[in-house]
Amino acid sequence: MKRHRLTITGWAAAVSLIATAILGILITPQDVTQKEYSRFLYLHPPMAWVAYLAFGVAALSSVLYLWPRTRREAFDHLALASVEAGVLFTGLVLVTGSMWAEPVWGTYWVWDARLTATALMFVLFLGYLAFRRTGGTKQNIARRSAIVALISFIDVPIVHFSVLWWNTLHQGPSVLTPGLSAQGVHGSMAWTMLLSFVAFTLLFCWMVGRRTALERLRASAGGSELQDAIAARRAEGTSVEVGA
Amino acid sequence: MTATDSTTSTVPPPTRGAAPHRRRNITAMVVIAGAVVFLLVKGITGSLNFYETVNEALKQHASLGTSTFRLEGLVKPGSIVATASGASFTLVEGSHHIDVVNTGTPPQLFQGNIPVVVSGHFASKQSTAFLSNQILVKHSSTYIADHPDRVKASNGTVR
Repeated sequence: MKRHRLTITGWAAAVSLIATAILGILITPQDVTQKEYSRFLYLHPPMAWVAYLAFGVAALSSVLYLWPRTRREAFDHLALASVEAGVLFTGLVLVTGSMWAEPVWGTYWVWDARLTATALMFVLFLGYLAFRRTGGTKQNIARRSAIVALISFIDVPIVHFSVLWWNTLHQGPSVLTPGLSAQGVHGSMAWTMLLSFVAFTLLFCWMVGRRTALERLRASAGGSELQDAIAARRAEGTSVEVGA
Repeated sequence: MTATDSTTSTVPPPTRGAAPHRRRNITAMVVIAGAVVFLLVKGITGSLNFYETVNEALKQHASLGTSTFRLEGLVKPGSIVATASGASFTLVEGSHHIDVVNTGTPPQLFQGNIPVVVSGHFASKQSTAFLSNQILVKHSSTYIADHPDRVKASNGTVR
């Protein structure tokens, strides 16, 4: 992504997040049953959406890296950046979910299909990040990591559809329903929730853009450092010969 | 400084840092693999279905006996009675119902006309009374704005 586009995305994310916070905390009414706790609606579901999006981007980038015709180092960088953002947002989903569950459900955690699959998704992609730190050439690490990302991605649709496939304590989807409607959420609450989805998506794009650029810089710096070190050693050898 | 001195002072032996690094990687992988196995076992042994509905539980009454399971149903409006040890109420699903006697403090959102999941067992193989020791509120994905003009219909739904 071009530098100025990334800057604009960052500012758009900041403005939309602030707007979400103002609308979510000060303007929208509370829910008739959950009262003030319903304001988690503007935090928890959009974070879950971003986690899905992040792992989806990582899976797609991994396919593009593994496919010989489309193989580019940039796709590996994009997969890494997306997984890092996805792991962060999944962690936040688990934390905000627990904070919301305790006063509403009456417990911080249950081992229902949704929560168990989400915890598994967190651990699987954390494993992806750990896997990248194992030894090998850059190409080997990228290829193996792409395979790990694709295997881990199997859990993502399981997380989403778990509430439809099995009896879970977690409620069904509010927005990402089969008909893609937010009809269960009334009035300004629905608009604010949709704004929160846009805000967190922009934040994700900005984070991944920045992280990808950093990884690209690191890769190029790493390469030149190695070349510089080899050149220095050669020069050192030459000077010894001259000195002798 | 000679070429040999320079080599020994700037380039560490390759094996010195490799072993701890490899050990750290293996430890990380073992921890993560262990966590994945733990979560899988927990998920499978806990059953993919978190609860039985009122109708399912009544159909399986003979096989369930007095074993512990989770029961889901809608709290019948007006059925909640505070007791010395907790609360008693009725769970309904369609035309079927199960009377529940709960021991312990209900969650703060516990009220009539909301779905809940209770953990416990039938009082006996003949009785459909359910003895529970935990109530979990299962709220829906519907969010309705709270305002003073909101009214409750005769069937308990909010308009």
